[in-house]
Amino acid sequence: MIDKFKAKFVEESKDNVQDLEEALLLLENDMKNRDLIERIFRAMHSLKGGGAMFGFNHLSDLTHHLEAVFDSVRNNQIEVTSDLITLTFSAIDQINFLLKKGDLTDTDELKEHNDFIEKINSFSKGSTLEEKVKNETDQIYEEKGKDSTEESSTYLITIIPEKDLLQNGTNPLYLLDDLHALGDAKTIAFTHKIPSTEILDPTASYCIWQVILSTTESLNEIKDVFIFVEDECDLNIEKVADINIVNKKEISDMVAESLSTNTLISKENFTTQVWKKEDKQEKQAKKKIAIKDNKISSIRVASHKIDELVTLVSELVTIQAQLSLYAEQKEDPAILTLTEGVQKLSRQLRENAFDISLIPLQTELMRFQRLVRDLSKEQEKEIEFVIEGGDLELDKNIIEHLTDPLLHIFRNSIDHGIESPKERISSGKPPKGTIIFKAYYSGANVVIEISDDGKGLDPEFIRKKAIEKEIIDQNSQLENKEVLNLLFVSGFSTKDEVSDVSGRGVGMDVVRRKIADIRGEVTIDSEKGNGTVTTIRLPMTLSIIDGLLVKVDKNQYVIPITAIEKIYALEKSQIKESFNSVVILDDEQIPFIDLRKTFNVKDVEQNDTVQMILIKSEERKSGLIVDSIIGEYQTVVKPLGKHIRKQEIISGASIMGDGSISLVIDTSRLLYRRKRKKAVS
Amino acid sequence: MEEQDKTLLSFQIEDEVFAVDAMKVDHILEVPSQITEVPNTPDYITGIINLHGNIITVADMRILTGQKNKEKGADTSIVVINPTGEQDSKIGLIVDMVKEVIETESSQFKETVLEGKKGLINSFEGTVVINKEFIHVIDLNSFNEIIEK
Repeated sequence: MIDKFKAKFVEESKDNVQDLEEALLLLENDMKNRDLIERIFRAMHSLKGGGAMFGFNHLSDLTHHLEAVFDSVRNNQIEVTSDLITLTFSAIDQINFLLKKGDLTDTDELKEHNDFIEKINSFSKGSTLEEKVKNETDQIYEEKGKDSTEESSTYLITIIPEKDLLQNGTNPLYLLDDLHALGDAKTIAFTHKIPSTEILDPTASYCIWQVILSTTESLNEIKDVFIFVEDECDLNIEKVADINIVNKKEISDMVAESLSTNTLISKENFTTQVWKKEDKQEKQAKKKIAIKDNKISSIRVASHKIDELVTLVSELVTIQAQLSLYAEQKEDPAILTLTEGVQKLSRQLRENAFDISLIPLQTELMRFQRLVRDLSKEQEKEIEFVIEGGDLELDKNIIEHLTDPLLHIFRNSIDHGIESPKERISSGKPPKGTIIFKAYYSGANVVIEISDDGKGLDPEFIRKKAIEKEIIDQNSQLENKEVLNLLFVSGFSTKDEVSDVSGRGVGMDVVRRKIADIRGEVTIDSEKGNGTVTTIRLPMTLSIIDGLLVKVDKNQYVIPITAIEKIYALEKSQIKESFNSVVILDDEQIPFIDLRKTFNVKDVEQNDTVQMILIKSEERKSGLIVDSIIGEYQTVVKPLGKHIRKQEIISGASIMGDGSISLVIDTSRLLYRRKRKKAVS
Repeated sequence: MEEQDKTLLSFQIEDEVFAVDAMKVDHILEVPSQITEVPNTPDYITGIINLHGNIITVADMRILTGQKNKEKGADTSIVVINPTGEQDSKIGLIVDMVKEVIETESSQFKETVLEGKKGLINSFEGTVVINKEFIHVIDLNSFNEIIEK
């Protein structure tokens, strides 16, 4: 867990550092700008706070001192000078370094770090020894190049095989491969010993190899490569440098030279002195590259760009459908092949684009974990927070809209739901309460359930409250379920006094509204004394779905494939004779919904055979009677205008290849509606 | 009543002339051969159409203004308006005929007097008289509220 937090901190800090850098660059041109100074101060402050919290003590230390300097700047005690800016820039480098490495352990690096802090302090005291600072900054930059973790040395390996080496089945090329696997290597093959073809023995080995290998492995590791051939060749391994010099220009020169004269390279060719100086530069370069690599592994992109990408891909899929239709009509094999290619690519592109916009719920849940912990401490309650299905991925737009409602629901559970340990024990429950967050796919929906084993909701109390607030009439008879629904009425808050946690006048009505904004719905179920379950049902507005295209009367409808279990062909008579809209298939009673009736089709003339599509949503199963099935389609779901959202069954529309429109059926709402209807009648 | 000068787009329904703020008009279209009906919607919602890859709801102004439904004629058009500037509140209005674009001054606006109630549309910004013709300017905000309800 802590590692996740750390990673998040590092990621956020990188943003802070970037901000810092940006502000600093601007400050350089406008040294009196208060806003910029303020911005720098803020960025450092958050780095400091976060650093201390997540165990980046040296980072925190450094920024603390730097912050002090900028505090003096803020209070007009010292002025911004180009020296200060230079110093801060090198501090940024150091911050980046510390972010990457965490706390320092190497004594040299520690010393460097402390020296740097010294220098920052000298600034805050107002001393501006320009030269000193400049020199030291340079020095620090250079010294930072030291890389303690990876020390590689360069070896010269000379392999002069015996003539009969090949006869034992040894393939010297494998040996060379093994050497290359150890690190950076350069192999030189000397072929001057190969005789002319008349006297050449094809089974003998004439070549000599020299390998310049730079590796972090020990000498023994290198020797191990030759473990089976030690006796069959003349092997010589010598260390020639303490650093990686394989890719140096001098080396290639040396190799070229020795090849042209057919003389083996000897240890003396490597004058160790030559390499020392360049060493640092090279390592610095290497380190810079390493930092860059680190940045590239993930990119932060403005979210509107992703939205745009997704829109464009949706357009592409629509156009591609048109192309497919055209190709089918033309029956031109060339176009057909091309279309297939385009189709494949656009499918991949679509999956990719949507994958980009998905975020696991887990990222969002981390803060709630913290919230539950803090609040339960504060209220002296013991709460265990369980997450199931946190790895479920959702569209980022949906997750964004979920935060507030979830926060509210969690707060309700902690504030009003879970009792104190004392109360819990006296009502025969374990002292520790549990809040379970559960997320799962159900048909074309995502369901999120937040349940607690707290005291639950008291319908009688809610009723009284509602009458008091004149939401319902004194004489109105309500079922428990309906009473619970009152919680969603605006201006209803059951807690008597306004608490710090929840009950600021806004209540479940806001939750409902916010969820409705993303076309989801919330329901509450509760049993007095046994806890509350809040269920949020969301559409997977991944705006492209795989759907089954069906026909009812003259309209085409799309049913999400994910919701479909089976398809049956039924005789019309089977429906007519059915009792209470239930047919028996495979010895199972299946309730069905005749879409012609649901959609109020006037002309009830139907084919003799109709299709029944068995759909499933959570635990509910039902057949949908349609006139005919057209086929499977990949479709882009477009939102409907506000004017027709009130009808519940159609969740969107989709433009077909020929420009006509199909309506997308929201299966779970359809089933939900049926259930409600039944309950009423 | 708005105090500013306005450019209006006028259109005819039966023998009445109405107008909307021309700045809120997105497109003027011919009635396409196919308007997809959406089940379980109010009767003034004719259906949805595909406009450049976007789904636009189409409402029949004849029903909204309390007229009887009529077969579409050669001049029947769809005026796509966007009352709030948001994509999903765009709506196409079927009118008998689109007339013209009129420049008006606020001083020309008079209180709208209509005999009887005109269907669902009952809120006007005013009436302008041009060439002895009464043009009723529809208040799009309240219009929007009515049809989004």
